[in-house]
Amino acid sequence: MTIRYCFCYKIEYIDRIEIEKEVVILKLELGKIKISDVQFGDKTEVVKGTLYVNKDEIIKLVLEDDRILSANVELARPGESVRIAPVKDVIEPRVKVSGSGAIFPGTINKVKEVGSGRTHALVGATVITCGRIVGFQEGVIDMSGPAAKYTPFSETNNVCIVIEPVEGLETHDYEAAGRMVGLRVAAYIGEAGRNVEPDEIVTYETKPLQEQVKQYPDLPKIGYIHMLQSQGLLHDTYYYGVDAKVMVPTFMYPTEIMDGAIISGNCVAPCDKVTTFHHLNNPVIEDLYKRHGVDLNFIGVVLTNENVFLADKERSSDMTAKLCEFLGLDGVIITEEGYGNPDTDLMMNCRKVSQKGIKVVLITDEFPGRDGKSQSLADATEEGDALVSCGNGNVIINFPPMEKVIGTLDFIETMIGGYEGSLKPDGSIEAELQIIIASTIANGYNKLSAKGY
Amino acid sequence: MHKGGTALEKFIITNNDKVYKKYKGKYKIVFLEKGSYTDVLNETRDYIHNGCKLITHPMAGSLKPNQTPYKSVIIGKTSEKTDYSSVILIENSLDAANKFLKHKSTPKWNEKILNDFKTVDLSLIENVIVNPMFNIY
Repeated sequence: MTIRYCFCYKIEYIDRIEIEKEVVILKLELGKIKISDVQFGDKTEVVKGTLYVNKDEIIKLVLEDDRILSANVELARPGESVRIAPVKDVIEPRVKVSGSGAIFPGTINKVKEVGSGRTHALVGATVITCGRIVGFQEGVIDMSGPAAKYTPFSETNNVCIVIEPVEGLETHDYEAAGRMVGLRVAAYIGEAGRNVEPDEIVTYETKPLQEQVKQYPDLPKIGYIHMLQSQGLLHDTYYYGVDAKVMVPTFMYPTEIMDGAIISGNCVAPCDKVTTFHHLNNPVIEDLYKRHGVDLNFIGVVLTNENVFLADKERSSDMTAKLCEFLGLDGVIITEEGYGNPDTDLMMNCRKVSQKGIKVVLITDEFPGRDGKSQSLADATEEGDALVSCGNGNVIINFPPMEKVIGTLDFIETMIGGYEGSLKPDGSIEAELQIIIASTIANGYNKLSAKGY
Repeated sequence: MHKGGTALEKFIITNNDKVYKKYKGKYKIVFLEKGSYTDVLNETRDYIHNGCKLITHPMAGSLKPNQTPYKSVIIGKTSEKTDYSSVILIENSLDAANKFLKHKSTPKWNEKILNDFKTVDLSLIENVIVNPMFNIY
């Protein structure tokens, strides 16, 4: 009797393992619902490619946070004479339709692994949080004119949430309030896509390591080292709710990022801050998937950080190199976020990963001065011999006034890229390119580069 | 505070009074009250050539050297000879700072903005000091 029971139990146990094994393979169907217009409406919904948003419901949702004194919702569409400033974060509305977890796990939803099942994205729509955070930063989005071509968000239909904090709120609290507001509004709007039939469904799939290697045994095994900004106040990033500065390098299935596993708490350099939108739509991951099975085998993502303490850099770069070696990678692409301190992490990762016999390509933007003649990065290593540039953030550009301003122009001269005299009496602006949101974003989600001749 | 067997004696070089007020008495502080961003880097370089090594990155923070007037760097006194990796890092940082300042000097900010810059600079240093590993370096 006893033996028989044991036997039955064993069979059941094996069955369960088999089922779990299927679930482990992270396959995400991303349903893209194309949004070509945004309007206010009585109900937040998507009808024939137009996103309607209920302004009152959004304001009510924002004001649930008692750190926020007032909020307004304004819309900005491609081609309009509209300037948005200062911009904190940009988020694409998404909703998890099936599969484990919910959007932005560990941040606005409970922690549960994401990256499988089905997710719907309102492609062509964004939520932009704007308004004063601190007196000296953020950036500008122009919806038309010469500066529009430098930012991807001149081509999207933007729901702008203009927030004002309560008097005397500490910088830390305000940053957190602004961050959460954007994510909550994006999740609320994302819900409108839950039952809409997507215009396009893209399937992304990464298998567990050994199976992934076997799938394309003859193709080079490529990984992506994604460096997360993690220096401190206004320079933070979160992975499943964990502050990146206190995490150690880890492996991530590339599909996890598409469900909001990583969110931005960085509000420093407009041109190259990786907004939450850019995490959801990471172009390196997108392109590696396009070539997955064609001329490379995309194994996955190694996440690491960019800390201030040099000992942390030592540990993180050691572990990053160790993970790459352990995964058996032939080559990696590394992206960074920011300038200066992160350049050292970039070079340490480059050096240590190269020393494991793995080929490395770096992607970054450059700050070689207005004349382009100075050193582009604040650190270097001889192993760093392959680099894709995302442009020079120091270039001066002039752009004319816009008819409407969402937010305020009070801080133009104190933003990164702005300077005394940047804002002209007629509302036109002369500033360094780095004042424009995502103009030189260091993962390539932009149109600038540099060529060697 | 337990310093650990091999921990270095640490100095904070800063021109940020928020850092000075928070850590005076707890750590040795070289407070350059009227000093500029580059004054802090130059002072740090002098200490490095006199047997100190960098504990924090001199360019911590994404605020550009011609934007924030404040800078705080933590260094540790070593018994060894010159730490060349620290020399390279501080020289690169000085080059980068001068590159930015050559084209545009730091504006004269109002008190509110100066206070925000001080808060961010303090945050970068605070995160290192609360790190459990800080006392063994």
